[in-house]
Amino acid sequence: MIKKPTLDAKIPEGPISEKWTNHKFNMKLVNPANKRKHEVIVVGTGLAGASAAASLGELGYKVKSFCIQDSPRRAHSVAAQGGINAAKNYQNDGDSVYRLFYDTVKGGDFRAREANVHRLAEVSNSIIDQCVAQGVPFAREYGGTLSNRSFGGAQVSRTFYARGQTGQQLLLGAYGALMRQVDAGTVELFTRREMLDVVIVDGKARGIIVRNLVSGELEEYAADAVLLCTGGYSTVFYLSTNAVNCNATAAWRCYKKGAHFANPCFTQIHPTCIPRFGETQSKLTLMSESLRNDGRVWVPKKKKDDRKPIDIPEEERDYYLETKYPAFGNLVPRDIASRNAEEVCVQGRGVGPTGYAVYLDFADAINRLGKDVIAARYGNLFAMYHEITGDDPYETPMMIYPAPHYTMGGLWVDYNLMTTIDGLFALGEANFSDHGANRLGASALMQGLADGYFVIPYTLGNYLATEKPAPVNTNAPEFTEARKQVSQGIKDLMNIKGKTTADEIHRQLGDIMIEKVGMSRSEEGLKEALEEIPKIRKKFYEDLCIPGDTKDYNKELEKAARVADFLELGELMARDALERKESCGGHYRVESQDEEGEAKRDDENFCHGAVWAFQGPDKVPERLIEELHYEHVIPSNRSYK
Amino acid sequence: MINLKEPQISSVCKKMLTGITGLSLVLFLVAHLIGNLTLFAGPDVFNAYAQFLHHFMHGMFIRIAEVGLLGFFALHIWSALSVQRSKKKARPSRYEVNAYAGGASKKSIHSLYMAVSGITILVFIIIHLINFKYADHEAVGTMTMENGIEVTNVYKLVVLTFQGNFGLVLLYMVAMGFLCSHLLHGIWSAIQSVGLTRPSTIPYLNLVGMAFAVALAVGFLLLPLLIFMMRGTFDPNAVPEYGTHARLMLAPLAPWILG
Amino acid sequence: MKVNLKIWRQAGPDAPGKLVDYSVENIDPSQSFLEMLDTLNEQLVKSGQEPVAFESDCREGICGNCGLVINGIAHGSKGGCTTCEIRMRQYNDGDTITVEPFRAKAFTLIKDLVVNRSAFDRIMSKGGYVAMNAGSAQDANLQPIHQDAAEAAMDAAACIGCGACVAACPNASASLFVGAKVSQYTWLPQGQVERSTRALKMVKQMDSEGFGDCSNHAECEAVCPKEISIANISRMRREFTKALFTR
Ligand SMILES: Cc1cc2nc3c(=O)[nH]c(=O)nc-3n(C[C@H](O)[C@H](O)[C@H](O)COP(=O)(O)OP(=O)(O)OC[C@H]3O[C@@H](n4cnc5c(N)ncnc54)[C@H](O)[C@@H]3O)c2cc1C
Ligand code: HEM
Ligand code: FES
Repeated sequence: MIKKPTLDAKIPEGPISEKWTNHKFNMKLVNPANKRKHEVIVVGTGLAGASAAASLGELGYKVKSFCIQDSPRRAHSVAAQGGINAAKNYQNDGDSVYRLFYDTVKGGDFRAREANVHRLAEVSNSIIDQCVAQGVPFAREYGGTLSNRSFGGAQVSRTFYARGQTGQQLLLGAYGALMRQVDAGTVELFTRREMLDVVIVDGKARGIIVRNLVSGELEEYAADAVLLCTGGYSTVFYLSTNAVNCNATAAWRCYKKGAHFANPCFTQIHPTCIPRFGETQSKLTLMSESLRNDGRVWVPKKKKDDRKPIDIPEEERDYYLETKYPAFGNLVPRDIASRNAEEVCVQGRGVGPTGYAVYLDFADAINRLGKDVIAARYGNLFAMYHEITGDDPYETPMMIYPAPHYTMGGLWVDYNLMTTIDGLFALGEANFSDHGANRLGASALMQGLADGYFVIPYTLGNYLATEKPAPVNTNAPEFTEARKQVSQGIKDLMNIKGKTTADEIHRQLGDIMIEKVGMSRSEEGLKEALEEIPKIRKKFYEDLCIPGDTKDYNKELEKAARVADFLELGELMARDALERKESCGGHYRVESQDEEGEAKRDDENFCHGAVWAFQGPDKVPERLIEELHYEHVIPSNRSYK
Repeated sequence: MINLKEPQISSVCKKMLTGITGLSLVLFLVAHLIGNLTLFAGPDVFNAYAQFLHHFMHGMFIRIAEVGLLGFFALHIWSALSVQRSKKKARPSRYEVNAYAGGASKKSIHSLYMAVSGITILVFIIIHLINFKYADHEAVGTMTMENGIEVTNVYKLVVLTFQGNFGLVLLYMVAMGFLCSHLLHGIWSAIQSVGLTRPSTIPYLNLVGMAFAVALAVGFLLLPLLIFMMRGTFDPNAVPEYGTHARLMLAPLAPWILG
Repeated sequence: MKVNLKIWRQAGPDAPGKLVDYSVENIDPSQSFLEMLDTLNEQLVKSGQEPVAFESDCREGICGNCGLVINGIAHGSKGGCTTCEIRMRQYNDGDTITVEPFRAKAFTLIKDLVVNRSAFDRIMSKGGYVAMNAGSAQDANLQPIHQDAAEAAMDAAACIGCGACVAACPNASASLFVGAKVSQYTWLPQGQVERSTRALKMVKQMDSEGFGDCSNHAECEAVCPKEISIANISRMRREFTKALFTR
């Protein structure tokens, strides 16, 4: 393979622990009096977007904040349950900034940028300070100090949490800060708007085109810089743990305007979700990973064994995680647990109506500890499960199956969070930066808030002070042109007038994605995906049906536009997965495994980020790379046997 | 006086006002009820009580109490009706189906029809005042107390009014039904309105409030009902047997009526 | 299983609205209520009709986006859950279910079952926060907070802003929403500085949005997916009154 010249991530000089400090000092500042002359567009109001918009407003910039939902508080960040990491070492258990940095790089299977991760670990502590000062009601000990738990297999207790609603509470903190700025007049709020394009003037991002989701009108907004905080794209799989309105549209349209897309195939599939029950399912529900602490995962040894689980005797059960990974047993990392579940189901030993589920059995734990102890630990999870499935986990084993959960890939950004389009920044899950090939639990919330509260206020200022963007308004021809394009795109979709709904197409795409670009990926499967996805896309453009009017509240139109982008992104994911002929983190190529069937990295050839550059419709995008260097965390193999 | 125009007062203050006035009216009812019940102690006690009310502080007390009560009623009615008015404005399009959510909810016909029960009470109060306060007190004459003072024989008035008057007793029963309904929600609600509840006390306050409401209504009904039903026991021309329990009961009031 | 639906259809805020009859067959009891509506919509779209407009996002009861009045009860009769958490298992074959939007003057209707709840955002902008610029916070453990206080704050903070309290209230009052926010911060040391102004300003904004006053029906608590206690309203009243005198 010919290696392309590596992209410049603009990583500051100096020792790793001083890079950010030095960089902050070296960056240019915007004069306080000039800040209000700079307009900034922030798309998205999740943890990343809300914290960025609020912080920039506090600094005095004129901010316009956009989101799809009717209120910023409903961004998908609200759904995060588990918690948020920080290197506070309040428990005196040996945590430190360096250890958090180390764990995150290693957890990402050596495909993340060291400098970014170190900065993330450095600011993690400020995030907790900031959130507590905002009144986020984190869990506390009797003595009144903050409580921590160990999460996602971490060896230290560094996770802060607020019941099962950490994401919601953090988001309410950021949302409150945002609303305070709205009241102060520095931030203007535009809800129920969907960004459909970025406007580029003189090579710089200078505005966006949005569709008003109530009136259906297209609107144009100009600014000196655009911040994309639009979240991840797990919904490309149709069924995922993400909210149904999550989408790739904003990022994808930017990609098509020149922002490169990095590591699209890096996705995380969460092992403990409630399996799907049938065709009409719209969403998969995440169950806390903690269930694996006491539950035992098994499937029948026999294929297509449709006896009731209690009727299957011990010796005919296969506790496959315990036999395969005696050291970690049921507590192996997310990717391994997920992959093995898929494997046994593909072998035909899956359970439940669809055959795509495995048992998570608490019978032993209940016998050993008593029902009360189990109820105290998992009572509300059991109740939720009972409610959704109708089965009582105290009586019969739970059924679980992995589900797409998080996307590590995203728009490529440099150390300053700027994409390859000048003036276009990407924050939070929308960028690709900090998690490499696998994200550790409780670190996405940390990253979103780090980007918004503590990184972008500096790096954006530096950009504005250095570039001094010329004034621009929406009368510029570039705006008219972009708007015309978007409007034409919508008309084209409306005019297909076929018979298939956007959801039907989305489900077909999702089936291919999960089967072929899901937990384990083979060259053959990926090639098939690359053939099948364009076929679905063709069907989409020939047979799509959208009732109603463009100038109205029209959910079918919204969905169709998003599916159009997923149909292209899905293909890029397959292409990326095909090109990355190694296994790493959440990306498992069956061709790249060691003697024991475990993922095998190929640091020789793939110690880089794959960065895709759009070349035009129906053209194969160019694969650039960002070379990764590990000076502190030396790549090693993960072993859980 | 009943200003139905949009009040320039915060919704919280409005609730405070309904609550405080409502609770005060309840306190008034409690006092009123205790007073009423003295009737069962005999004509002298009851008449002495009436005499006391009218002469306490040289008659100032009753004047102040009347004005105060009137004011409280006015404030209560104004603030409560203004709450009701806000309700109409806040939901211009009605639900096609209405239901009760149950569980923690305290929504009931009592809570929903506070204005109806309230207005009924108001009408009743007017009738009640006509019956007693503005009745012809001369007609019943006076009674001689043990110490020789002549007092208006309110006892006779009350007994005569209810005796044989089934219609009136029925009216009282209906009215007390509405009062009970008003207070079944009203008492706990007022405590909540003035901000004196916590998560743990709400269920108890609600129960206590309801029990209190029933007790008040039943208490007030005792008088008309018993007089109506036990014709023999309540004699309008009864003459007290002085020197027994009455003395004891009246001791605290002695300086005004006996001395 | 099969259900008959009566769904409120209204093309726009000023258009007339009415209940329209539909029926959905082959329902899986594991389907959620919203998935049942998805199925209906897919039928409608395929037969060239406009689907029923309704909102949802997380579909797991935390974002507060969904919200329907089902057989006269906001978020349905089960209690302690959002509309998206309702499973069809709860209904019997052949049931007739009436579905209406959240109705309140302050929640103007957008289309069918979709309403505008931005009044809540405006209330929040008047004090639903602790004014604390990014970067100026002290170490998080410097200020211990009693566990009970933290828990009480969390109880109030659990509000997802869905608006069911307003929808369910016979008076269309937003007292529970505002009460929860005001009392959350009273429990925390961070909330003390703005304690009085917060209560005054948020209540004032609530009043100006066209919500009704509260009659303590407590129907709001009964439908609240997070079971937030009306004691928070009581607390808000204390706060407000105290603020009137101490400000
Ligand atoms: C069920 C679940 C549980 C999780 N639990 C945890 C956890 O315990 N710990 C942890 O660290 N992480 C967790 N995560 C991951 C974490 O929640 C997310 O990665 C993170 O919140 C993403 O934040 P964000 O700000 O980048 O994006 P989001 O919160 O997704 O926000 C996206 C925003 O962009 C807007 N938007 C999107 N597209 C457009 C457009 N085209 N135009 C206009 N606006 C647009 C949306 O309206 C929204 O406001 C969890 C994720 C899920 C799904
Ligand atoms: C003896 C007479 C009365 C007593 C003891 C009484 C008591 C109360 C109490 C305790 C409350 C609860 C207050 C609150 O919720 O904060 C209440 C509410 C109410 N009262 Fe009365 N009341 C009396 C007479 C009236 C009258 C005459 C009316 C008038 C028209 C009236 C109308 C109302 C209404 C409408 C409410 C409900 C207010 C709301 O919706 O919050 N009441 N009353
Ligand atoms: S869709 Fe999020 S709460 Fe129902």
